[in-house]
Amino acid sequence: MISADLAHAYPELILAIGALALLVAGAFAPKQTTLVGGGAVVLLLVAAFAAATQPLGVAFSGALVTDAAAAFSKVAIYLASAVAIPLGQPWFERRGVKTFEFPVLIVLAALGMGMMASSGDLISLYVGVELHSLALYVLAAMHRDNAKASEAGLKYFVLGALSSGLLLYGSSLIYGFAGSTLYSDIAVAAGQQANTGLLFGLIFVICGLAFKVSAAPFHMWTPDVYEGAPTPVVAFFAAAPKLAAMVLFARVLGDAFPAAAGQWQQVLVVIALASVAVGAFAGLVQSNLKRLWAYSSIANVGYAVLGLASGTSEGVQAMLMFMVLYMIDVTGFFACLTALSRQGRSMETIEDMAGLIKERPALALAMTVFALSALGLPPFSGFWAKFYVFKAALDAGLWGPAVIGLVGSVVAAFYYLRLIKAMWFDSSAGATDRPPVEAKTVAVGLALFAFPLVLVALTWLDPAVAKAAHAFGLA
Amino acid sequence: MIIGLAHYLAVAAILFTIGVFGIFVNRKNIIVILMSIELILLAVNINLVAFSAYLGNVTGQIFAMFVLTVAAAEAAVGLAILVTFFRNRGDISVDDASMMKG
Amino acid sequence: MALQAIAFYVMAAVTVIAGFCVVSARNPVHSVLWLILTFFSAAGLFVLMGAEFLAMLLVVVYVGAVAVLFLFVVMMLDVDFAALRQGFAQYMPLGLLIAVFLAAEMVLVASTVATKGAAAHNDTPMASGFGMDAPNAEAIGRVLYTDYVYFFQASGLVLLVAMIGAIVLTLRHKPGVRRQVVMDQVLRSPKTGMKIANPKPGEGIGE
Repeated sequence: MISADLAHAYPELILAIGALALLVAGAFAPKQTTLVGGGAVVLLLVAAFAAATQPLGVAFSGALVTDAAAAFSKVAIYLASAVAIPLGQPWFERRGVKTFEFPVLIVLAALGMGMMASSGDLISLYVGVELHSLALYVLAAMHRDNAKASEAGLKYFVLGALSSGLLLYGSSLIYGFAGSTLYSDIAVAAGQQANTGLLFGLIFVICGLAFKVSAAPFHMWTPDVYEGAPTPVVAFFAAAPKLAAMVLFARVLGDAFPAAAGQWQQVLVVIALASVAVGAFAGLVQSNLKRLWAYSSIANVGYAVLGLASGTSEGVQAMLMFMVLYMIDVTGFFACLTALSRQGRSMETIEDMAGLIKERPALALAMTVFALSALGLPPFSGFWAKFYVFKAALDAGLWGPAVIGLVGSVVAAFYYLRLIKAMWFDSSAGATDRPPVEAKTVAVGLALFAFPLVLVALTWLDPAVAKAAHAFGLA
Repeated sequence: MIIGLAHYLAVAAILFTIGVFGIFVNRKNIIVILMSIELILLAVNINLVAFSAYLGNVTGQIFAMFVLTVAAAEAAVGLAILVTFFRNRGDISVDDASMMKG
Repeated sequence: MALQAIAFYVMAAVTVIAGFCVVSARNPVHSVLWLILTFFSAAGLFVLMGAEFLAMLLVVVYVGAVAVLFLFVVMMLDVDFAALRQGFAQYMPLGLLIAVFLAAEMVLVASTVATKGAAAHNDTPMASGFGMDAPNAEAIGRVLYTDYVYFFQASGLVLLVAMIGAIVLTLRHKPGVRRQVVMDQVLRSPKTGMKIANPKPGEGIGE
């Protein structure tokens, strides 16, 4: 029985044992950071392969669910984490932080996110959330001689711990009223009678998860943390953890509370619209690009939540598609910021980007692609992401929210265009340093995906996402 | 007077509220904020153990054990970040001299 | 039964009052001490509910490790705590009002448990020792390493992350301190560790 369970946990086992091995290797040869980093990338790729080919089913008496959705999101999460290592490690080493722990922490964070994506029980939800968040808090503060980074780490920690507390309090109430921590048992209990206590617990859990995905009104930490944390770390935690938390959201709502869809739909619509509005309007006054993109990410999470709020399988499909395409966008954009510096100082404001097209044409083009994609202009990837969400929302009869979402996206277009205008038409603000090759490769590669390749990728992403969406308990 | 489930849940609810209240009132004192977080987790544990005792199933106690474990890990990471912050700033107040505009 | 009720009320009152003192004490060292009292009395509540093992764990882990860690950090950081109190009085009235409302609502929800939900289907009175044959610690031990082995391993990884994190963030090697290099010591062979010299009389080795 235990061996059958373990067969479902191959990706987790590979990552856990691999992380331990890398840690031992790093402890014996602390100078070989590149080797440990390379090992971590290989580990994540192997785990992604294992996740894609693992048997479907449940293991550990329902705690680990390996369905199509888990497999799909794990592959995406592990690949996104693998990109973060070559992006981040050289950045840290250029700043004199030569630690082999960076890749190990990324691997452990990826493990936690995988647990979240395949959780079938409130305990695995909590342990997965904590495993990845603790690693992220440390990563945010890892540039430890930098006051801004440690302040960002502290803020992230305090608000993250508060959100875990809310999540847990909700979980404890759900356990008490349903009599079990398994989603399948909770679904039965929730289906039997309308229960105030269960809904009360659910509200707490939704608040906690909204914190984790930085949806309004729980978004306050995002701009500060994005601005202060090291840029390549932001590229990591703006992408994969958001996907993991959104999948977890879909699991709790779809697997444990399909019976209460009427109630949580309203809450999610409010959260989605608040996020879109905050992201669009507060972004207008920002000049720091990291803060700007933090507001952009708040708005984008709003669209993902709107997809989920449809309460249909199509809505979940839209959410997954949106998050995957958004991950590529946001990682690419922060990779551009990682690559750019002027006289050793990182370029973070819109003014810094003036005339970039003459200085660094490749990176400026890549940033233009990401900005146009985030704006939602066809045929860039962001357009397809929003297309799915709006289609799902309209099919579910959410006309009002869809229109408000569209208006928000028009407002947000202003700040993306401001960035593009600065890059293409303003006079140059001076020569930039030679961009590090790894960050530039990641940025240009992802930009190529966001425009021409996405059209090809959609042909296999679409059926994969549809299959994943059907794994949830929503009609 | 028989002490029932509701009594324990009430204690947990009050403790949870004190924890949340502590976070919002002590905005500058990070150490007290970390302690408030511990109070919140303690409230959750009381909830879990009370439900576990009432339902006669041990899952709640197991859950509480994991909460304890993770809370200890969380406290360690939180204090480590606090120490790096203090080393950089010589001070632990966050709002005051914030380098980042709120 | 009356004794139990008295014990409950005393410990519940101490838990809540000490909890409030944690967030309102002027001196963080006092806060930590109040925190320890809160944990002790909460452990007493656990015993009343029949969860002796967790009660013991709470005392060992929290009082023994977490609270001492807090105390350690409070004393290590040389902070002007009076300055940190600014704003407390300002947020206090509104915060207290909101907290009272929140607590009232949550207690209300808690009181509906007995009549609704899964809890209602179970008539076991509290503190009945879980209606199981096995003692508390044994009941936990039976399932912890079998049914819950997945979480058990995962929480081990959480502790590992915390350990790595604490070391990465705070460990600093002072320059100029000679450290033991185990690999160099192990790889030492007679060839590298020994030198045969043949000094002439009256000259010495003359490094």
